[in-house]
Amino acid sequence: MSLYEGAVRRPIMTSLVFLAIVILGLFSLSRLPIDLYPDIDTNTIMVMTYYNGASSEDIENNVTRPIENVLNSVEHLKHLTSNSKEGVSVVTLEFEFGHDIDALTNDVRDKLDMVSNALPNEAQTPILFKFSTDMIPILLLSAQAEESQKALYKILDDNVANPLARIDGVGSVSIVGAPEREINIYLNPQKMEAYGLSAAQISAAIAAENRNITGGNVDIGSNTFSVRIEGEFNDPQQMQNVIVGSRNGINVYLKDVARIVDDVQERAQKSFTNGKQGAMVIIQKQSGANSVAISNAVKKQLPSIQKNLPSDVKLGVIVETSENILNTINTLTETILYAMLFVVIVVFVFLGRWRATVIISITIPMSLIASFIYLYATGGSLNMISLSCLSIAIGSVVDDAIVVLENVTTHIERGSDPKQAAIHGTNEVAISVIASTLTMICVFFPLTMVTGMSGVLFKQLGWMMCVIMTVSTTSALSFTPMLCSQMLKLQKKQSKAFKVFYTPISKALAKLDDWYTARINWAVRHRITVIIGSFMIFVLSLVVAKLVGIKSEYFPANDNGRIGATLELPIGTRVEKAEEIAEKMTSMWKERYGNNLRVINYRVGQAGDSNTFASMNSNGDYLISFNITLVPSNERKIGLAQVCDEMREDCKKVPELAKYRILMGGQQGGMGGQNTATFEVYGYDMEATYEYAAALRDSFRNSPIITEALVSRSDYEPELVVNFDRDKLAIYGLGLSDAAGHIRNLINGSLMSYYREDGEEYDIRVRFEPTARQSIIDLENLLIPNNQGANIRVGDVATIEESSIPPTIERKDRQRIVTVTAVLKDGYALSEGVDLGNQLTEKIDRPNGVTVQVAGSYEDQQDANRDLGTLGILIIVLVFIVMAAQFESLTYPFIIILSIIFALSGIIFALCLTGTSVNIMSMLGGIMLIGIVVKNGIVLIDYTQLMRERGMGLIRSAVVAARSRLRPILMTSLTTILGMVPLAAGHGVGSEMWRPLGISIIGGLTVSTIMTLVYVPSMFCIFGANGVKLKRRKMRKQRELQAYWNEHKQEEMLNAQAFSENKK
Amino acid sequence: MISFDQASYEKVLAALDRTNCRGFTLFPLTSGRGSNTGEPHFGSHAWPSTCSTIITIVEDEKVDRLLERLHDIDKESEMLGLRAFVWNVEKTI
Repeated sequence: MSLYEGAVRRPIMTSLVFLAIVILGLFSLSRLPIDLYPDIDTNTIMVMTYYNGASSEDIENNVTRPIENVLNSVEHLKHLTSNSKEGVSVVTLEFEFGHDIDALTNDVRDKLDMVSNALPNEAQTPILFKFSTDMIPILLLSAQAEESQKALYKILDDNVANPLARIDGVGSVSIVGAPEREINIYLNPQKMEAYGLSAAQISAAIAAENRNITGGNVDIGSNTFSVRIEGEFNDPQQMQNVIVGSRNGINVYLKDVARIVDDVQERAQKSFTNGKQGAMVIIQKQSGANSVAISNAVKKQLPSIQKNLPSDVKLGVIVETSENILNTINTLTETILYAMLFVVIVVFVFLGRWRATVIISITIPMSLIASFIYLYATGGSLNMISLSCLSIAIGSVVDDAIVVLENVTTHIERGSDPKQAAIHGTNEVAISVIASTLTMICVFFPLTMVTGMSGVLFKQLGWMMCVIMTVSTTSALSFTPMLCSQMLKLQKKQSKAFKVFYTPISKALAKLDDWYTARINWAVRHRITVIIGSFMIFVLSLVVAKLVGIKSEYFPANDNGRIGATLELPIGTRVEKAEEIAEKMTSMWKERYGNNLRVINYRVGQAGDSNTFASMNSNGDYLISFNITLVPSNERKIGLAQVCDEMREDCKKVPELAKYRILMGGQQGGMGGQNTATFEVYGYDMEATYEYAAALRDSFRNSPIITEALVSRSDYEPELVVNFDRDKLAIYGLGLSDAAGHIRNLINGSLMSYYREDGEEYDIRVRFEPTARQSIIDLENLLIPNNQGANIRVGDVATIEESSIPPTIERKDRQRIVTVTAVLKDGYALSEGVDLGNQLTEKIDRPNGVTVQVAGSYEDQQDANRDLGTLGILIIVLVFIVMAAQFESLTYPFIIILSIIFALSGIIFALCLTGTSVNIMSMLGGIMLIGIVVKNGIVLIDYTQLMRERGMGLIRSAVVAARSRLRPILMTSLTTILGMVPLAAGHGVGSEMWRPLGISIIGGLTVSTIMTLVYVPSMFCIFGANGVKLKRRKMRKQRELQAYWNEHKQEEMLNAQAFSENKK
Repeated sequence: MISFDQASYEKVLAALDRTNCRGFTLFPLTSGRGSNTGEPHFGSHAWPSTCSTIITIVEDEKVDRLLERLHDIDKESEMLGLRAFVWNVEKTI
């Protein structure tokens, strides 16, 4: 018993099996995590090596180079970049995607062991560090405060950070922008000098006083008591009376030489949200945890957390990555539902039977739901790729069901019983349904083999399509016939309402049939003209592409409503100035964008050492970091890229700003940011490369299509260098590190003890009054005690001079490099930026030894193009093989494969018409088109061949087949095209990502369907006629030979005999 | 001998039952084409449908009734095609 026979005979079992699939699918769906992209494995490892005191060039030569040389041989390495700056070397290894990062880490560790002996002795052991997307914060909360400002850190730490960190999946919660409490002991330099005291003495005295000591045990009677001396301060002011020394036999108290300030850290970042000071809470997830789930859990906790906070502290959300993800996924879900609706309407219009339409509407969701089981089983997520895959699949899934349904209907109309019709009708088309599924699998299976970044995206899509196709074919061969046998019957009488409604449609369709038959009748009789015309259209599309100039980019820009901005004042500018400018920009932007702006947050100032999040990002007094969130893209008219461009214009007008960087999307290196052309300038001579890079940057800035151009190398940072004179130090009896230590104590403060309160520890920092460390003269006046108890002024043993720290030395693939990045204005494509850059690099005089190379997303794009190109060829070959096997012919597959070029023309026309650029999404559309276009051709050729086998003439069979296949072809094409319309025309959040996909499929399929309908019958006739001619010629030759043989039989045989005798 | 489109199998069987003809032999897959009208039943790419054939031995008095019933089936769905032929059984064991 075949599959369909069994299914039809056992309807309960069949429907329950598929019901089970649906239930499992829905169960999986409820468990599926939601994300924006499929899981992208980490492919970057950083090796950090500290070598205190070494200059950047020393670091480069002694640390970075040896490490680079040995790490260069690690397998699967794509790029090796390094930063050598003062005191630290950071080597970053970027691997090809799709390799096990843990195995690679072990490789790297082994290689590092080899090099550790070659590193300088003072250099510390290299630290391995895996960078992953988990480090990108998933949620930024703001806390606004008024009178609680000073205690904000503790309030947030106790009431917000701790409860949030307990949530499952939350990795770390850090607080930025709220200074921590610190007990500052400010020493008065004059009094210190008068009493002959040093900072170290004072902090040692405090530490000695601030102790709890156990005093052993005492037995009293039958009990044992332990003795404890509690010396720790329970109020900072108690320190006032600590004796720090004695002078002329009189005790010197701390209050005599210093004041005690119970305040916050002197240097700390400040955070402002919507113009109000507060702090920022950063939440990072554990690796592998789901951002949306965590984000929801955190937000659920927030109201109860808010209740525990003082009334002036208000929590808010600055950035919530999950909101964009959810909005995007919701938009996509909506488009899928629309697509389904359109498909159902098309099916109804063309089939004209509501029962058939119901069957189709039951089968579509079933195959789609089944794919959730696959996703759940493989640990996938509901993301943009898997959902757009569903929306692409809708069009193809109906095809199989329609083919079966149609044939069963034909059988019923011929008088079969529905049950028998279902079995035999399915039996007849089973082979061609399987073959067409095979062609689709040939298109999608190779997608699972793509490597690189695009591979990450397409792997899931490929597998999902294969799963959906397989399920849909299985259901078309079992579930659909079963439904047909149960639901379909011979329509003996149509209802009145149906007739009123459907008659005009059926009349229009019949008219279309007639019209098309007339056209095709002409076409097959003028086939050379038709073929030449068709190829002219192809050539025309190429000409259009050349004239209009199709633009290309790597990935469409994604409007997630987030902007990250870093404004840099000249290095060394005081934090107050930065604050002033930040405030000005905030009020300007708040006024301009009004309701479009949801949150605008900025941080200024140097972060403390203990702040891990801030120390990972660049920070400094001269830097302002903005985090801006706009309302979701469907609630505002202005595009994100446009806002970014305008902000850059604003920054350009502020003369105080040395550099600014506006990052669309809020984070660096992610997909979907603004188009950025990256040029790498290689060369050993730092001056020459910098000069060249700066010239390139300046000419970029002058171009109207560039909104931001930056050079990667930072400027020289100012510093004060204290040069001790060793002879003088020796005269005063001082050691160098001793002296340096004292200077550090006085400026940075000495930390010897902690103040404890409520289980928390706070630093007690002893140092000079802020007013006593404000100028070079102040520094020269600092006192260093020597072994004889005398105080020596720094100015007496050292000279202090202003200098600057040389910038970081960047290297890539073991060559020194400077990177110039140019962000393109909204509406300009990456290819334009790259072209411009190539022109500019030609114009600027290039010094000897300097080379320029395009890199960044252009490089990725080139990689992706190459990958997808190879893939396209592979797919075409596979599809050809499947078709050749099905038709047992080489000419028919050739005719069909050739029709792919019209899909290409269609894509070109559509892209030019809408001004969309070619990117990875539109290329994906192109690849998928191969399968769909080929399917149309197969249907047409298969039926024409059938007609010929049934004994029709060549031209007549072409015309009859074309007429009878017009509706099925139109129907399958329309279901796919209409399924794509919501993608192409959608305006929801994230729609800009899949619009190119929709546009290219609509364009390509429309043109190729029309062309297939005209071109394939003509081409078939050309080949058919040739075949007939060849056959006739062959037959004639055979006939002639036979006639000759009959006539000269005797003669020929004698000749042959004579020949063989001669041989002997 | 009754030769018919596969799809009519159940109807033919019902006709046999109703006429109380118990014994028959079924050839589930046969192919052929009619002398004048109807689509060939070849089971090929061009003509995918196939026939079944039943040989049954029927008492003389039942023959006409059976033929009538079969004729009704054929009229009901002419496109499928059904033909029956009667001849005498000379000998059996």
